[in-house]
Amino acid sequence: MHRDHSVKGKWVKCDQMTSQERWEALVNRRPTDRVPCLQFMLGHTAVVNGRPIAKIYDDGAESLACQRNAMALYGHDGLIMHGWANAGGAEFGGEIEFPYRKYTGAPLMKKNPVQSEEDAWDLRVPDDILSVGTMPIALEFSRLQYEAGLTVTLQVGSPLTWAGSVYGEERLMIWMLKKPELVHHVLRVITDFIRRKADYWIDRFGAERLMAFDLGIETNKLYSPKQFETFGFPYLREIHDHLTERGTAIILSHICGEQNKNLPLWARLSYGKRGMVSVGKEVAISKAREMFPDCVIMGNVDPVTVQEGTPEQVRMLCRACIEEGKDHPGGFALMTGCEVPPQAPPVNVDQMVKACRELGRY
Amino acid sequence: MADEAEIFSQLKQAVMEGDEDVAVAAAQAAVAAGVDPQRAIIEGLAAGMAEMGRLYEREECYVPELLVSSEALYAGLGVLRPLVIASGKAEKKGVAVIGVVQGDIHDIGKNLVKMMLEVNGIEVHDLGRDVDMERFITATQETQADLLCLSALMTTTMIAVKDYMPAFKTQLPGVKIMVGGAPLNQQLADEWGADGYGENAVEAARVAVRLLETK
Repeated sequence: MHRDHSVKGKWVKCDQMTSQERWEALVNRRPTDRVPCLQFMLGHTAVVNGRPIAKIYDDGAESLACQRNAMALYGHDGLIMHGWANAGGAEFGGEIEFPYRKYTGAPLMKKNPVQSEEDAWDLRVPDDILSVGTMPIALEFSRLQYEAGLTVTLQVGSPLTWAGSVYGEERLMIWMLKKPELVHHVLRVITDFIRRKADYWIDRFGAERLMAFDLGIETNKLYSPKQFETFGFPYLREIHDHLTERGTAIILSHICGEQNKNLPLWARLSYGKRGMVSVGKEVAISKAREMFPDCVIMGNVDPVTVQEGTPEQVRMLCRACIEEGKDHPGGFALMTGCEVPPQAPPVNVDQMVKACRELGRY
Repeated sequence: MADEAEIFSQLKQAVMEGDEDVAVAAAQAAVAAGVDPQRAIIEGLAAGMAEMGRLYEREECYVPELLVSSEALYAGLGVLRPLVIASGKAEKKGVAVIGVVQGDIHDIGKNLVKMMLEVNGIEVHDLGRDVDMERFITATQETQADLLCLSALMTTTMIAVKDYMPAFKTQLPGVKIMVGGAPLNQQLADEWGADGYGENAVEAARVAVRLLETK
């Protein structure tokens, strides 16, 4: 539990719950002492630990240690996870580069596994899915989460976003119009892979311990709502339904960027025993509340302001989010609208927990 | 023999429908009919792409449609552009260097901006993605470019845009600098000393043309 702290000379009362208690209360639909602060914080946790950002992605043990240390430092209430938006390609034989170089903040696809139509038709789910790409790292991360008594996390897409990693986004988009049957074939294979991955995690760690999450970048800056409906939604629905049928405790969707026109479809997905939805700054909290009345809404502080702005600017954004979301019947947590920028000034990140303590008390 | 207006219409329609075969056939028909290839590009192919840009801004089409249209555009240009160059009548509004900054491999936005600049009569030298500061400077100097365009899609790589700017200002005097990409905005572009910012590819082309006209 954290000590009282001062904001602009005014003392703010300390928390009445630990982060673990607050997280469990949120998940189990019980009251919390204040608005939880859940952070989608990966590379930044390496930076505050003085470690290369790549360690968050290529070393399960270090990744978990960095994330837990950052959580203790800032006092936020989660999330702890392994994954990144542009995942999937490595699992089908693509080449990735972990972010050791200057300016890199997440793994980069160096070579997409599908380079030709023939490659696409030949794509198959590998026999041993646990040995391919970054699966051994993800599995080690989850094993360590399990042993530490934490919620075990599992990345499950989204399939269309993974297809971008398998094809290359530009080729994917062109083939969506010119060779839709080929895109559906690849989405089918990706979805089968994700289902098998989910089954393994559920069998090994237990559905009641699991939080499955998808990072969906099907933004309407790129795709039309119709394209999302045709190529994104059916496969997402299949995965969410499967996870729900198997009793998954939490399903979290990060709906990245401008997706206002896609929201009605996201809202039709099943979300396990407890649904959580994180939205970008482009989606108003009030809109998310309306679309997901039973889910925890997470959002949506502008990450660019967290990186480039002042603590006071971050605080103002936090205030607006808290005021808009605090009383959501499904639950609300303050969060950035996308990943906390790895190079964000720690004083700005710190403002988010402070804002929850000062402005988010129940 | 098809008349000029009909050929221009076919070229425009081929681009709007993203039909490479029709674009090539219409371009060949233009050549056979003795149509000025420069006019066929401007009033046919480029007009089609400009219309797609308008539809994109009105959210009546999206990036996949723009990409398919650009394939048809380039297919038609493959027939007509060599003739324009050979005639020595190629008109250009300026020369631009474009690339995605170091550490970033997201290049769809950059490719769309490149295409829209070309449609607007700007000669573009594309450095690709993951481009460091020295390569931008060298390429701009070697091509004697009027305009340097930088793209960044990540919060980590947008920092590169800020870091590069002082060196660009001192080593590339007189060169206009434009920036773009999802995390950037007009305010940051102004703060960092860029001359222009485009919210999307269509706007970027408009800003580029304006910058070149006032240079």
